[in-house]
Amino acid sequence: MTEKRFYRIGSRPAEIMLPVRGDVPLARRRLPFTRRHLLKWRSRLNPKTLRQERWLADKKPLWWTIALVLLAVSAPFLSNSALTVASIFCIFTAINLLWTLIIGTAGIFSLATLAVVGIGAYASAALNVYLGLPWPLMFLAGGVAGLIVGGFLALPSTRLDGLYYALLTMGFAEICRVFVQQLKPLTPMNGSINNVGSFIPRDWFLQRPGLLLGFAGAFVLMLLALLTFRIVNSERLGMLLQTAREDEAFAEAVGIDYRRARLHVFLISSAGLGVIGAFYAQFYGSISPAVFSLDQLMLLFAMIVIGGLGRAEGAAIGTAIVVLIDKGLLDLGPLRILLVAAIMLAVTLLTHNGLAGARNQFRGWRQRRQSEARARRSEKGGEVMPEEAIEIEDKQAIYYRRFQKRLRDRLKALITPELIEEHRKRPLGQHSDALSRVLNHFRRGEVADKYAILRQSGQFHAYKIVAFSGVRGAPPRLVDDRVYTDINEAYHAVFLLRVNDLMES
Amino acid sequence: MDLSVTLVHGLSLAAIYGLMAIGISLLWSSIGMINMAHGASFAVAGYAAWAASEAAKPLFLAAFGKTIAGTAAMAGLTLGTGALAGAMMGALIYLLAFLPIHDKPNFPVRSLIVTLALNLATVQVLLWWFGPRQKNLPKIFGTGKVEVLGISARYDQIGTIAATFLILGLVLLWLRVSRKGLEIRAMMQNPEGAVLSGISVRWTALPVTMLTGALAGLAAILLSQTIFVSPTSGAMPLIKGLTIALLGGLGSVPGAVLGAIIIGFLEAVIGAIPFLGQRYVLFGTFLFIIVVLILRPRGLGGLLDEARK
Amino acid sequence: MADVLEIEGLTAGYGPLRVLHDISFRVAEGERVGLVGLNGHGKTTLFRAISALVGWQSGSIRLLGAEIGGARSTGPGRKTPGIVRAGLAMAPQGDAIFPGLTVAQHLDCGAYTPLAWKERKRRREMVFDIFPPLRKLEHALVGRLSGGERRMVSVGRALMVEARLYLIDEPSLGLAPKISASVIEALFSLPQDGRAIVIAEQNVALLSGRVDRMVGMHAGRLRGDVGHVSLH
Repeated sequence: MTEKRFYRIGSRPAEIMLPVRGDVPLARRRLPFTRRHLLKWRSRLNPKTLRQERWLADKKPLWWTIALVLLAVSAPFLSNSALTVASIFCIFTAINLLWTLIIGTAGIFSLATLAVVGIGAYASAALNVYLGLPWPLMFLAGGVAGLIVGGFLALPSTRLDGLYYALLTMGFAEICRVFVQQLKPLTPMNGSINNVGSFIPRDWFLQRPGLLLGFAGAFVLMLLALLTFRIVNSERLGMLLQTAREDEAFAEAVGIDYRRARLHVFLISSAGLGVIGAFYAQFYGSISPAVFSLDQLMLLFAMIVIGGLGRAEGAAIGTAIVVLIDKGLLDLGPLRILLVAAIMLAVTLLTHNGLAGARNQFRGWRQRRQSEARARRSEKGGEVMPEEAIEIEDKQAIYYRRFQKRLRDRLKALITPELIEEHRKRPLGQHSDALSRVLNHFRRGEVADKYAILRQSGQFHAYKIVAFSGVRGAPPRLVDDRVYTDINEAYHAVFLLRVNDLMES
Repeated sequence: MDLSVTLVHGLSLAAIYGLMAIGISLLWSSIGMINMAHGASFAVAGYAAWAASEAAKPLFLAAFGKTIAGTAAMAGLTLGTGALAGAMMGALIYLLAFLPIHDKPNFPVRSLIVTLALNLATVQVLLWWFGPRQKNLPKIFGTGKVEVLGISARYDQIGTIAATFLILGLVLLWLRVSRKGLEIRAMMQNPEGAVLSGISVRWTALPVTMLTGALAGLAAILLSQTIFVSPTSGAMPLIKGLTIALLGGLGSVPGAVLGAIIIGFLEAVIGAIPFLGQRYVLFGTFLFIIVVLILRPRGLGGLLDEARK
Repeated sequence: MADVLEIEGLTAGYGPLRVLHDISFRVAEGERVGLVGLNGHGKTTLFRAISALVGWQSGSIRLLGAEIGGARSTGPGRKTPGIVRAGLAMAPQGDAIFPGLTVAQHLDCGAYTPLAWKERKRRREMVFDIFPPLRKLEHALVGRLSGGERRMVSVGRALMVEARLYLIDEPSLGLAPKISASVIEALFSLPQDGRAIVIAEQNVALLSGRVDRMVGMHAGRLRGDVGHVSLH
């Protein structure tokens, strides 16, 4: 028999909360040279426990760190084939992260990703093999090649619609493939460049140390891509483009040049893809026209579709799934593609935006159902509208307002012509039960709801009615210009105003 | 190479591409879906026709012998099976890529992805079932050449051109005059207005997907007179159809026809120029399309379709 | 006379927003009802709830005795074609029309139900009689028409079908007073043989004296039979 656990009121056991020590000043470390904090700590007063508590508002960095550390630590214990799969995963994650920048952040539907990678690879490999460029400079060469190609591809991107641009970039990849295959010097090798210099020493190739070094390189590449993604997506450029995604015309109206920002993102990503291309050539020691092929592109597309467009987690998850199936389950044969297609189908049919968006989608769905149900139940004219109630932190306020509403409903029922007549006859003095209740309610009201009687200066028995502003320093305002010559008449006028307010509420 | 041969070749290519492109364009304009599984419909129709013709060959040989009637029966059978298989694929696309998500967010992108996945899966299933070996469809127009007005053309080229014109003419006429056509056009312009007129979006989309599937199936049979049926044989027609549909301006049927004619002739001409040859055909067409799209970002359709605002 | 439309306890809204509150409303056969109220008080939502186009709704709506309301679980618009076939015609607010069709094709769309399709020519003539300016525009594209003509086409499309209940939403919205008066005039020139019409309007003056009764709508509730409803 398990003992039932009880929790303190107001505690949320599923949430990790740190206590806040009142005697120690809050230390919020910043990243050096920036104004950024590493983690998003938030603190608040728990209204139930009346304690200050801290919690991590964004736990994603935590998960990322855990996953990356696990991957890095487990790598030396992996078998040779698993190590290759892990390396390929890292390379493709890097490619997909930059592609996500282009499609998600910049909103340019480019399919030339692998083409840019391929061009970076070919340019750097050719410089290395034919002109003897040392391998560290290959990255630079690849980056420059990617930048140039990116600049060329970016020209029509603002002019063309999504699908047209996608087609154009697909055509560009095809042209690259044909062009490379037709190149005279490469014809004997079927269009590929072999024996490319590499950061992996030649005699280590396909040996254990070579594989480990290759993985280390790929891992660093992925980290760099993540950093690029973070800097571009969540800093200035990303913020500018976020506004453009919501409403292009509005962004333009407030002076955001979103086209320029898109071009910048595109160029940065293209340069990055070129660098990845140089790495790709070094990693395999060769580069072949297969990198431009449609099948490769489809597989890449499947990765980011399964993961979800526009988010770094999506790129990583999708790549992990597809690479595991495609490279990890080699003995399944052609069934692998079928499996990938089936996953793609299921993910697209069930989620709005890939696996990474599934959680948000579920929350949105639940919230919509809840608010619909609440809207069905609760009545308008009730004090707290359901959509408002979600946002009110202190739930007591909701009940207080609901109570007030019911009270007013009861009082409204009490107000009859007889009651008003009774007050007119005798504004002060002993009243019937109903009138006492109404008057008591009026007296207990907030200042902002109240009126006052103002005696006109210099005149005897001349009164006007003013309404309080309810704000310190803001004077009352005259309700109307009517002058009452009898104080009882003025009392009754105030009463009528209050009754009117009550009936209107 | 003779100019007239190029002309006939270009026209027959244009006919087949036109069948594909109009299917894609029609589907986009009526239900807002880019059908990437059009190539799968193409391949499935080819295999279905092949299987039917293999099964029926001894039967027809026994019944008709090697006569015109035998060829005609075979033609009817393959075309019918092809169209039917294409229509069935269309129905499958409707069930998977339209019905579950048509009123959900991101429908255009999601349906594109679903049809792409369908395409991948279908190619793999075909590969697994029939193997990578190419199949040969019976020559439904017979073999031989004929001279018309000094232009010599193969039977299958003439047959392809004639059949395409007939099919496309019938389809376009049907869309223009029939009640269903009106329904489709109403739906593509204003779904809510269509619903208020008693037109069910769900039931209108089914015939459209089946029709475009059948068009792909017919294109498969016609193209298979010159090339073989293989699991990946749908990829090239799909890309051609898609590029032509885009070149013509998505959703514009006259644009698609014009695009098909231009691309068909362009391919025939590039293929015929000795120092370029077949290897540069795709290269050349893509280059041409890129240039056109940069000059006219919405394709050719904007020039033709003045009704669109 | 039997009731064409019976609404009991209808509540409807979009997402967290509840627009209609517990509405009960009846329309008798052949009746002409004016639904008046200011913008944003739920007239359009009531019409859209009747034709199953809102986000969510509950309560009972009976059209000719057949239940068409209830708590829906399908998406908006899925049940609408069935309701239209059961005898409802609705002219939506604004220009919810097909810009790329000609006037004649557009009207044919209205006569889409199988029964009406057979006699669409006759009904087209009838609409042209009601809205004479449309006759010479028969083959013009709707997208090219002026605002008033579009509204006539939109209302005319709803009149193409032999429905038992017509819902006309704001026929005067955005039109010059003279044109809106002529559209309303044309609507009331229809023979009154058993078809009930509900017209939603902001402009009470356009309807007064022409409808059998006027119902006010305020903050998602009906204000009974209020010919005298004062609009502030």
